[in-house]
Amino acid sequence: MKYGKLDRSLLEDVRAKVLRGMLPQWAFTDPEVFKAELEQIFAKTWNFLGHESEITRPGDYVTRWIAHDPVLLLRDAEGKVQAYLNSCTHRGTKLCTADFGNKKAFTCPYHGWTFNLSGELTGIVAGNKVYGEEMDRSQWSLRKIPRVESYQGMIFGSLNEHVEPLETFLGDMKWYFDLMLGRSDHGMEVRGIPQRWIIHTNWKISADNFGGDPYHTAMTHRSTVELGISPKDPMYASYGYQIVLDNGHGINIITRRKDMNVPPFQGLPSTMWSMFERNLDPMQLDVFRNTMITVGNCFPNLSFVSPMHGTGGPGEPLTSFVNFRVWRPLTPTSIEVTSWLMVDQDAPEAFKEASYLSYVGSFGPAGTLEQDDAEIWTRVAEASQGWMTQDKDVHYNNVLNYLMGLDRVEPDPSWPGPGVAYPTCYLDAISRAFYQRWIECLLDDAT
Amino acid sequence: MHYHDICRFLYTEASLLDARRYDEWLDLLDDHIRYRMPLRATRDFKDPCDIVDDMTFFDETKQSLRTRVERFRTTSAWAENPHTRTRHLVTNILVTEENGPDEATVQSYVLILRSIRDNPDVEQLFGERTDVIRRVDGTLKLMERTVRPDQTVLSMLNLSIFV
Repeated sequence: MKYGKLDRSLLEDVRAKVLRGMLPQWAFTDPEVFKAELEQIFAKTWNFLGHESEITRPGDYVTRWIAHDPVLLLRDAEGKVQAYLNSCTHRGTKLCTADFGNKKAFTCPYHGWTFNLSGELTGIVAGNKVYGEEMDRSQWSLRKIPRVESYQGMIFGSLNEHVEPLETFLGDMKWYFDLMLGRSDHGMEVRGIPQRWIIHTNWKISADNFGGDPYHTAMTHRSTVELGISPKDPMYASYGYQIVLDNGHGINIITRRKDMNVPPFQGLPSTMWSMFERNLDPMQLDVFRNTMITVGNCFPNLSFVSPMHGTGGPGEPLTSFVNFRVWRPLTPTSIEVTSWLMVDQDAPEAFKEASYLSYVGSFGPAGTLEQDDAEIWTRVAEASQGWMTQDKDVHYNNVLNYLMGLDRVEPDPSWPGPGVAYPTCYLDAISRAFYQRWIECLLDDAT
Repeated sequence: MHYHDICRFLYTEASLLDARRYDEWLDLLDDHIRYRMPLRATRDFKDPCDIVDDMTFFDETKQSLRTRVERFRTTSAWAENPHTRTRHLVTNILVTEENGPDEATVQSYVLILRSIRDNPDVEQLFGERTDVIRRVDGTLKLMERTVRPDQTVLSMLNLSIFV
């Protein structure tokens, strides 16, 4: 069974390895793993679809994806968020092809079946003449995404009607989402539309990078150190806490240190601070005051980063932004990135502009940081497709290293927030928890 | 401003970019240049505007462009180490507006082909550009560039290049 199929005993072996900080390299690229992930993870869990600020008025819609399921996300006539499979119930045509817009009804270009915002089939060309009165139109409504729920304006959908409630799934991540998304009176707004681009890598490589890998910054982003934009200290991104949360989620909070001369609240204008006091509890406020960078991943593939950067070159004042992105799995070795820039609706216009320029300069496909991430993630996928790396005989020499901090770094019980917090961000604890959750999902239905 | 001079300016620019002669390229840009690449979207037939100006891939000043160039010169800008190889194919150059004798608004098409390491696949980026070109002290300078890509989902893994 060296190169054979996935079975329970193989997956059990992988789990044992993951718990000891090792991951077989084929986990990134094996086609059967990918198939199992679509079925056991993406079809069963919560998937991020969009932010409520993208669809504020009745009839506003955006088109999105859950892996390979096209989703039509809209606000209906009553102001309620609805999500449908974006496929006509007659012959399956993709119903809405626009990225966003506002409509009262959606008409299929194939035979003209028309659906209203509630998904009801309201129009059939030559209706009763061809189908008679006996066809029950209510049986042919748009198919709803089985579950749609929101938290702090973040809309998630699940293809699994028996999925746990979103808030249960997010669990302790909610506390940290509040810091990024719930600190202001009117929450966040998406600027423009999300950027989208393709990277030839595996979705876990990028999710793991954002989720649990501040260690990469010293080398991957060394160019910014050479330029004098990032601090010289190679431990710079380690100062803070790596917090392992339930369900495979994790967040790193890199904190400001007194010698860094970094403003509180990520440089958000002082006029906003009283809002933070209103909307965050004292513990959250305390953590947020000393936060410089947050970066993490909400299992499986919703990553976020909220760093502080300048807007152009050395000497530019630091500002911050909030960026969420989905790594949509296309194939074992390709993803579509959808990346949303969010900013506090209540922020002054000047801050919104600086925040936007800071994001575009550093992240997104042209970002001075993200350019190098994508290149390196591509190299991981490229080097993980050969015979040696596909060898399923799991032994030490054929696994990748997730050993950092294992049995070595203990949690800090004084951390005021929820989760298991370790007093450094140079640690593989979140990655190990991410892959543990991943393998448990695959094991759930394995025979 | 002669059409011939405009063409020579844009072809020279393309050649400098492909040769990564970035100092000479920066010299073609006015100190107050606005260099932007907004997002393209697929819109419904009744919504004619398919450019979203609020979000961009580039929204640059001369200073931020210089920082990008300086980054490529570090030892660790991995997207360009080893450097990628590009061809900027610039065509369909039209002067759409003449603003006096020394300034023109120019539209051009651009197709960028890119080769990365030993990967035989071709990466492509294509779209149209609207430039404002002005004669300053006898030499042409790029005052403004707006790039409108045709893809709504870029197939390039990154934009460690200039368009």
